[in-house]
Amino acid sequence: MTRLGSYLAAPLLGLTLATSAVAQGAMTDVGTPRSETLIVQTFDGRTSNPSQMNPLNRYAHWRGFRELGWSYLWEMDTATGESYPEMADGFPEVLNDDYTKFRVKIRPGIYWSDGEEFTVDDMIYTIETAFKYRDQLTNVTNYVTFLESWEKIDDYTIEVETINSSYDFVTRFGVYTWGSHIVWLPEHVFAPLGDEVVSYQNNDPVLLGPYTIKEYDPNGFWQLWERREDWERSGWGNLGEPMPKYILYKDFGTEETRSLAFVQNQYDIDTFMSPDTIEAAQARNPAIETFSPVFPFHDMNDACGWGVYFNNQIEPYNIRELRWALALSLDLEQVGITALNGQFKPTALPVADTPVTRPIFHEPMRDFLDGLTLADGYKPFDNQFNQKLVETLKAEGVDPAKLPEGDGIVDAFGYGWWKYDPAQAEKLLASVGIEKGDDGFYQMPDGSPLVLEFAYPADWNKILQRLGFSMADSWRQAGFNVQGRQVDNGEFNTNMRTNARFQMTIAWNQQCVFNANWRNNWRQWTPQFVLPADSTDADQRLDGNYARIIDERIFDLVEQGATIPTDAPEMADLGRQIQEIVVEEMYMLPLMSIPTTIPTNSTYWTGYPKQDNFYALPYTWWSSFKQTVVNIEPTGR
Amino acid sequence: MGVAGFIAKRIALYFAVLFIALSITFLLPRLMPVNPVDTYIGELQSRASSTLDPEGIAELRENLESLYGLKGSLFEQYISYLDRVIFHFDFGPSFTYFPHPVSDMLANAIPWTMGLLLTATIIAWLLGNAVGLVAGYFYKKRAATILEFVGILLYPIPYYILAITVLMLFAYIFPIFPLSATFPVGEMTLQKAWMIFYNSLLPGLALVLAGFGWNILSMKALAIATSEEPYVTFARLKGTSDMTRMVRYVFRNALLPQVTALALSLGLIFNGALLTEIIFSYPGIGLIMRQAASGGDYNVLYGAIAVSIFAVATAALVIDLTYPLLDPRIRHR
Repeated sequence: MTRLGSYLAAPLLGLTLATSAVAQGAMTDVGTPRSETLIVQTFDGRTSNPSQMNPLNRYAHWRGFRELGWSYLWEMDTATGESYPEMADGFPEVLNDDYTKFRVKIRPGIYWSDGEEFTVDDMIYTIETAFKYRDQLTNVTNYVTFLESWEKIDDYTIEVETINSSYDFVTRFGVYTWGSHIVWLPEHVFAPLGDEVVSYQNNDPVLLGPYTIKEYDPNGFWQLWERREDWERSGWGNLGEPMPKYILYKDFGTEETRSLAFVQNQYDIDTFMSPDTIEAAQARNPAIETFSPVFPFHDMNDACGWGVYFNNQIEPYNIRELRWALALSLDLEQVGITALNGQFKPTALPVADTPVTRPIFHEPMRDFLDGLTLADGYKPFDNQFNQKLVETLKAEGVDPAKLPEGDGIVDAFGYGWWKYDPAQAEKLLASVGIEKGDDGFYQMPDGSPLVLEFAYPADWNKILQRLGFSMADSWRQAGFNVQGRQVDNGEFNTNMRTNARFQMTIAWNQQCVFNANWRNNWRQWTPQFVLPADSTDADQRLDGNYARIIDERIFDLVEQGATIPTDAPEMADLGRQIQEIVVEEMYMLPLMSIPTTIPTNSTYWTGYPKQDNFYALPYTWWSSFKQTVVNIEPTGR
Repeated sequence: MGVAGFIAKRIALYFAVLFIALSITFLLPRLMPVNPVDTYIGELQSRASSTLDPEGIAELRENLESLYGLKGSLFEQYISYLDRVIFHFDFGPSFTYFPHPVSDMLANAIPWTMGLLLTATIIAWLLGNAVGLVAGYFYKKRAATILEFVGILLYPIPYYILAITVLMLFAYIFPIFPLSATFPVGEMTLQKAWMIFYNSLLPGLALVLAGFGWNILSMKALAIATSEEPYVTFARLKGTSDMTRMVRYVFRNALLPQVTALALSLGLIFNGALLTEIIFSYPGIGLIMRQAASGGDYNVLYGAIAVSIFAVATAALVIDLTYPLLDPRIRHR
């Protein structure tokens, strides 16, 4: 190199190294020590209203409020699917046979972040405020549609009455999964506001959790939490010492910039990065890890699963043979490989296959699936789907060391799925007069084209976008004229709620059963959530039962479930009976567990929940994050 | 027509354009297949694990429609909208972030958009026209070809590719700038101003490069054409220097269309730079509009679009009124 070149290169190299050091250096961008700060990609991106922290109105609660700031009477142990007392002193005492009256005790010695003690007065104030301003507040429906009356017994005891029987009182007055129905307010802060409470921003909030907000970005990109000095006195201080002194929630932008920032160790936990982006990042930074070192690599224990929902009220989706034909014409193995690199866990039941739900539903229903027979004697279930998937992945060049073996195959890829049998599908359709025309696509019995509109998410959910595209292609190859339509988030929502618009879609909201308490999700399968088939968005909207279940047998079973304790054996049995009907009729086509692609970076922190260190689910937006926060350790870098 | 008549007519047209555009703006979001109430109810149901019963949802829907001002006939809502926007410049509360006022959201975002886009647009215009002028005036020289090549190279590159390339080069391979901006909070200090400037350099660079190419090519073409004019030939025969001819004869006369383009570009900055804001995590009005369109947040859309309409219409008015000052031929006419 010439002397001039050296003179130019040296400072440039120095600048590069210096700035590299800054990129992953001793301090974070918000001025906290990197070694003491856990940095997390926000679940919901950037918010345009970061100063709004009043839980009585809509706010961006998934930037730490649900996990670090608020506290609940009962939380959910995501490893076992069991509720546990957080602020409550034990479980509620049921005061009547109808399960509408309950006595709840709270633990003394829980303090707000400003030093005031949490008492029943805060609970009474919260409930009364919700009711008083119910027509001016946007986030109190959970309270006012659930509670009938309430009474303070003493500072740590309250009795409440619910509007309807509530065998699931603990999860409704507490927490089921990621949701947080009821958030308790500090009476000493809110009460002096009087009527101003409806517009109060609460942007310097007094909190119950072990963290308080140190700073937040007025542009909505990040929020910094700092551990309270008196964290033991917080709502979940009894869980253990939260290890990070600071937790920063930040939106690192598009997947392109996030992956680069992740490789540069700028943050520790991502949220829903695409599988191939994770692989690319891992190739550049060995500190980046997935949930498991083998297929399917990612945690598959989300409460919800993905599935195809049909408008069972309109033609041609009201034809059972058509629904079954679509199931048998979908090459899910190839779709899963194309869209997800094979990193998926199929399920034929409308409940995700997790360590919690498997013993309750999937294991007991194996015989049902294996024995399921269609009208012509055909058995559609393929219990070797998992094995075949492993063989296909090997044939495609996947390192065998990364593939599960033996019993691990069922753990990784479930018990099976439907056979890929377009010939059988064609037979089924022929039995109802649907046959292929000269163009190779199926036609209705009267000769009119059978065109199926399949609406799926656009790039606001990249993985579903890829999945939807692959599925539409698979069906088209089998002879179905499927018109795939990518829709934006808002249109996706409106489309699903409007009978006149909706044909079929891919979604998850009908498959969110986390444990034996299936009513938490399927209570919406009632006649109250059935609208006329031709209802438009101008006159009526559907606000539940998006699978358009109209089977009286299911309605009856759901109603029976309202009278049974959620932990009774009969409850699980009813859940299995409901699923048998849904599957036999193919009212929806469940596909797979939601692959929660949550890679972690072990440069600054270690001890995240993993397959071989499973103390909680790996999500940063559930109660599981509380467990993560008390279990991780700094690496000392 | 006298000057007063011209100005009066032009201003009347300005207000007519504003009125029509605002009216169309009212209707456009209503035609989207998105309903703001649905979006929020879906979110709430998801958090409540679908435990809300139909009566509760119906009550919530009723409340939201009332709070959002969606009650009454479309005509009644239109009149209310015109009254609020035109006479009070009040766009009401955001639906998505109720009851946060839309004007607060815009007031927070617009300075960022203006700061970045105004600066980048003007720099791209100045640099591009300077380079294009030289390339056009000396178009027979090889150096001019090289300069033109720069414009040809940059102009067709899709902005997304350009932005990602800039990001990878200067924030990853040579990590001089941050991958995503982190602006400090609190009162404005010298340190904070520097951080804002530093974090804005990369998105600014991407925008300048994106606008640079077109300005080079357009000014080059204008400069070549103007150089062939008889008055320029006369100036050369008079013995004026190249610099004098290039600046005082060619540039001044070739400038007019570029001034029009600049004025319109400046008006358009209020649309924000959506891709820039997304790729560089830069706060601005583009991202707000995108989120509002996706969620059916009518009031935010009204506010953002109204600001943009006002800016572009005003820019066009200013051009029309100042053009006679720049071009004597128009003044005479």
